[in-house]
Amino acid sequence: MQKIDPEEYKKRLDKITDLFSGFVVHARKQSMSRCPYRNRLDECIAKFDCRNQIPTISQPALPKCSGLIDYCNAWKKDTEKADGPDLGSCNP
Amino acid sequence: MPEISDIENEFIRDEIEEFIERPNEIERTVSTFAKARPEMQTIAAALIDGDNHTVDQLTRKALDSGIEALEVMDYGLISGMGIVGIKFRENFIFVPEVLACARAMKAGMTHIEPILSASGIEPVGTVVMGTVKGDLHDIGKNLCIMMLRGAGFVVHDLGVDTSFDEFMEAVEENEARLMGMSALLTTTMPYMGTTIEAFIDEDIRDDVKIMVGGAPVTQEFADDMGADGYGKDALACVELAKSLLEEAARDTGL
Repeated sequence: MQKIDPEEYKKRLDKITDLFSGFVVHARKQSMSRCPYRNRLDECIAKFDCRNQIPTISQPALPKCSGLIDYCNAWKKDTEKADGPDLGSCNP
Repeated sequence: MPEISDIENEFIRDEIEEFIERPNEIERTVSTFAKARPEMQTIAAALIDGDNHTVDQLTRKALDSGIEALEVMDYGLISGMGIVGIKFRENFIFVPEVLACARAMKAGMTHIEPILSASGIEPVGTVVMGTVKGDLHDIGKNLCIMMLRGAGFVVHDLGVDTSFDEFMEAVEENEARLMGMSALLTTTMPYMGTTIEAFIDEDIRDDVKIMVGGAPVTQEFADDMGADGYGKDALACVELAKSLLEEAARDTGL
């Protein structure tokens, strides 16, 4: 089996960490204005219910995101009440 | 100087033409892919497409054919991720697509792990991660997992709605010294404490360091629950994980 030089491997990990750190910073910025569960096709990948979800006829396709309500207020909690639980912040 | 026409893979050529605008980035990307073998370009294309099955198959095939693992990382996986990063920065794609690409990268790295092991390179650590019971929010946890894997950790992802039994079982099965719990709801946050209590009741609390995070979670809450560490976000997660593992090693005198 081939071998990898640990120092060279470490350089690659550092490169990946740099790249991913940039992703996380941008994700945080983007989440201020766009739900992080909304993909580029405006579909919702969330496993929970959200008031912005528009069910699709062709199951099991992902529901569409209407984006009509600010997503922090649109996410449904498991125990929906008039004064439901505080989300803290929607920032992922 | 290499030209875009020197890149054999049409998908990669289209990606560069359609999504990269900055001249220095075009030059750098063209230069990288022009040097890459067609097999590496195909791996990068599948990764950019978030196609983990294809990345899995092509990486295995490339390594079996004798291509060096570092070449696969450089010209297949990392170069592909470079384009993903530019598309994300320019808002052509969003967090769900980035996470799909990260999963594809992980599929490729899985085949490199045995080579690392044979080279005497051990993972930085093994971590069990999950969103607590009653909570279905997973983006923050998934970003943490992406960061941890990228930093060389082995991560066992338990997904969402994870019970304390599932956390305990995973920690024991994988001999993980570190565990991470995430919650986004104030109603599910207390389950982190329930889980820590369960570890104490089973007399396995000292076997594992526990870190917690999630939008409503604070350092104070983490301390009150008896967690070993609190991470504000996915960036903090890696440093926290490393420091907790060092702490665990000191505890056991390793």
